[in-house]
Amino acid sequence: MDSVDLSKLERRARRKYEWHRARTALLGFAPALLVVAIACAMNKHPSTALVFGAGMFVVGVALLWYGREIRRAVLPGLAMGLFPLTLALCANHLGHACMGTHCMKLCLPACTLGGLLAGAGVSLIGLRWKQGVSFWIGASGLTFLTGAMGCSCVGYAGIAGLTLGYLLGSIPLLLRRKADRSA
Amino acid sequence: MSTQARSELDSLLARLAEGDRAAFTPAFQLLWQPVLRLCSSMLRNDADAADAAQQALEKVLMRGYEYDPQRAAMPWVLAIAAWECRTLLRKRARRRELPEDQVPERAAGSEEELAERDLMQAAVSALGELSTDDRETLLATFWEEAATVSGATLRKRRERALKRLRDTFKRLYGLG
Repeated sequence: MDSVDLSKLERRARRKYEWHRARTALLGFAPALLVVAIACAMNKHPSTALVFGAGMFVVGVALLWYGREIRRAVLPGLAMGLFPLTLALCANHLGHACMGTHCMKLCLPACTLGGLLAGAGVSLIGLRWKQGVSFWIGASGLTFLTGAMGCSCVGYAGIAGLTLGYLLGSIPLLLRRKADRSA
Repeated sequence: MSTQARSELDSLLARLAEGDRAAFTPAFQLLWQPVLRLCSSMLRNDADAADAAQQALEKVLMRGYEYDPQRAAMPWVLAIAAWECRTLLRKRARRRELPEDQVPERAAGSEEELAERDLMQAAVSALGELSTDDRETLLATFWEEAATVSGATLRKRRERALKRLRDTFKRLYGLG
């Protein structure tokens, strides 16, 4: 029994552990592909939506695989990202004059409003669950990529609107958290 | 394994389930000996025990992601190891069913040893028919490992699990 090479066995077990985690993360996040498919089908620029969707999927799987605190950011990040995504896609399909990638009438405000709601939502959940910075970074990344699948139809302006809205939504709650900590 | 080591194992596996890779090596080191001991006592063959223990440990650590921190780790680990031994015993039994010229030479052993091995295989098969809770209770009892409960509750659970094991044994082999 002394012939068992324990360091080799440990390396093998570690590889299997990582592989199993990656596989579980991949399967666990697979339903998010449905969101990507819907966003691509409804977007006027499906290729851009696909790029953001692929990014969202890779980030989601990576966060689930990595684990720890940041893993808890996956569901809130994805769910909050649905606000800007839905609002942008709905606005894009409402009967209005959408001139190429510069729609200021409905699409841009929808992206900003969606970002605002998402930013407030992520911060609120982070505060409720008493999560740290890694949670906020993970959830923000996923929210941004999910929302960008819809907001990309307005071009860079849509992405900028989403980012601005997100930051505006997050700041009051983040400031409150800072104040709570220093008190 | 001491109570301190058991609670250390619980926390290491909980950390591993959360994705803390730093818990991997200490958990591996803590688990190897108890798993090997269980496999040795079930298989009575050093080479087979080492094989089963390696496979069991790989499985335990691979499934570290699924570990439920609400439950004690050791019974869970031993249940997996026992299952691995049972699979190996089954494979061995199947090998015995091959035509005589294909059967590998059996290691020298007295009739008594072979009978004991068969009895152990039967007991492990019956154990495999029980629920996870019953299996964990019995493993915790016979290998003196941590149970999720103690005192009167454990005694009651043990009684019930033993009764169910007896019933299963009777059903499978027609013996009391």
